[in-house]
Amino acid sequence: MFHRINTTLEQLSETALRSPADANRLVFTGGTIVFVLTTLFPFYWLFVLALTPNELISNMGLVPKGYNLAVFAQVFQELPLHRYIFNSVLISLMVTAVVISLGSVAGYAFGRYEFSGKRPLMLIILVISYFPPAAFLLPLFRLLTGSMTILGIQTPDFYNTPLGVAFPLSALTLPFAIFVLTTFYSQIPDGLEDAARIEGTTRLGALYRVIMPLSLPGLTTVGVLTFITVYNEFFFSFLMTDGSADHWSPLVWGISSIIFEQQFTTPYNLLAAASIIGVFPIAVLVLFAQEKIVSGLTAGALKE
Amino acid sequence: MSTKLDSVPWRRPLRAVTLRIEQLSDTQFVYVLLSPVFLLLAVVAFWPIVNTFELSLHADSIVSPDPIGEFAGFTNYVDLFTGGLDALMPRPFVSLSQPLKSALIVTVVFAGVSVSIETLLGFAQALILNEEFRGRRWVRLVLILPWAVPIVIFGTMFYLMFNSTVGFGSEILHGLGLISATPFTSTQDSLLLLIIADIWKTTPFMVLLILAGLQSINRDLYQVAEVAGASRWQRFRHVTLPLVAPILGVAILFRLIQALRVYGVIEVMVGCNTVPSLSCMVVSTFQSRYYGTSATIAFTTAALIGLVTLGYFAFTKSEVV
Repeated sequence: MFHRINTTLEQLSETALRSPADANRLVFTGGTIVFVLTTLFPFYWLFVLALTPNELISNMGLVPKGYNLAVFAQVFQELPLHRYIFNSVLISLMVTAVVISLGSVAGYAFGRYEFSGKRPLMLIILVISYFPPAAFLLPLFRLLTGSMTILGIQTPDFYNTPLGVAFPLSALTLPFAIFVLTTFYSQIPDGLEDAARIEGTTRLGALYRVIMPLSLPGLTTVGVLTFITVYNEFFFSFLMTDGSADHWSPLVWGISSIIFEQQFTTPYNLLAAASIIGVFPIAVLVLFAQEKIVSGLTAGALKE
Repeated sequence: MSTKLDSVPWRRPLRAVTLRIEQLSDTQFVYVLLSPVFLLLAVVAFWPIVNTFELSLHADSIVSPDPIGEFAGFTNYVDLFTGGLDALMPRPFVSLSQPLKSALIVTVVFAGVSVSIETLLGFAQALILNEEFRGRRWVRLVLILPWAVPIVIFGTMFYLMFNSTVGFGSEILHGLGLISATPFTSTQDSLLLLIIADIWKTTPFMVLLILAGLQSINRDLYQVAEVAGASRWQRFRHVTLPLVAPILGVAILFRLIQALRVYGVIEVMVGCNTVPSLSCMVVSTFQSRYYGTSATIAFTTAALIGLVTLGYFAFTKSEVV
């Protein structure tokens, strides 16, 4: 990967130098190099920490003090990292599925129709995101751990299940998804939908055959952002599970257990190795999803 | 087409529903579409918010088994602004004599500075990724990757980098005269490091959204502008900017809201005592079982964010809502 980036950058700088008049090109190339390097640097430094044996980690410079590749195997012996990652991926997929299906329908309604009550309804959805997650905690915790009765029926106990984390997070990520999708749907020209409707397509048919494909960049963007937000989440992930991998605890717990369980010295190398492995699933997701983000709209699709 | 549908038995109910939906008025149709979302939000968001508001009208109750104290009206809110609740929090809510020690001011400074820089950098990176060049997908992956790093990992990463026994970051910034030798003991230094870390982590969020907006722009418009003799800058100013503006507005709005609620990275990287954000105060009072106080701070935080977004709407004349 790094090699490919390097050759690309070399090519870019060559083109820039061949026609020095094009200063824009030079700024563009320079900017790209700076952004790529500053973004990659912390990742590189994680590798430095992971490869350095733990007893040598102090006053670390820019190069590793050793090449302890075994650390990447050791971290799986210390904790069921694969299970934590699986739990996180599953919870993120659940939330993303809910948010995309509900959010796209709501975004379509808000983005393509004028109706009475539209603005108040959008505002009330926005207001949810004003609250710190902790504001939902006490009532939601009681609701989702089976310690409440509603109309004589005890609420289900979702503590230590994927649903315990997925429920609150789908509500907390929905406002953002709805707003982004509303914006995307509202920018699709009316002409296309009208044409489909005149040709006899039903409302729902037009939504799935015309509108959804055209808003694919928006849908993918929202899907990726939601997935990552949930995978990253810090608050409910901690509070709705007890930290055991068998109890559906997400990756946050796995990483934290490395810090908590050692009482004397923190195994920085294990921490770094687990961190690198933990980022991997998202890297793969971004790599595949990005094609959809940009190629969803083919040239000319929006011609009126 | 309809006869074909009718011949498949299981499709009949589906067709009946589709027909029923066709007969609805626009407004009815919209409310049918919105009902599932609002059903979910009612249970998992609106009901807890109302419940927490009720909690904020009650006194704390840390000794009795019932977590909710006596009804106290708006006493908690009055106390919060007059400093009466400061003793329960690790740092005061707002204190003009020590601005950097008070939750409100620290939070607003963090959000303002980091979101402005992230927007500018995010726009620049999105413009780069919008161009065609070889290896673009790898550059794109790299630039988006920081957003993928879970908060625990990212907080730890930057903590180690600037930790004076493990990392080298403090030495460099100290050499440049930007921070003291032990930055994690000073609020000002920690805030600076936190902002640097946050920019690294969250710029990709802006990049992704702005890029998706750029990609939705009809390419023909640029050709028209070019034919009309518009310069590169004019094309940016009169084609790109207005068309990206709606999604940019949403991106800034939600980034601002997120930044004003900042908590996780503070907890992991610098600690809530050093950089006391509003959400830190909510969590720490919650953990000490001052539920009334915690609910009050949560509601005040939400109200402040509401004010900021109102200001944002007014200032940008944005039509997000």
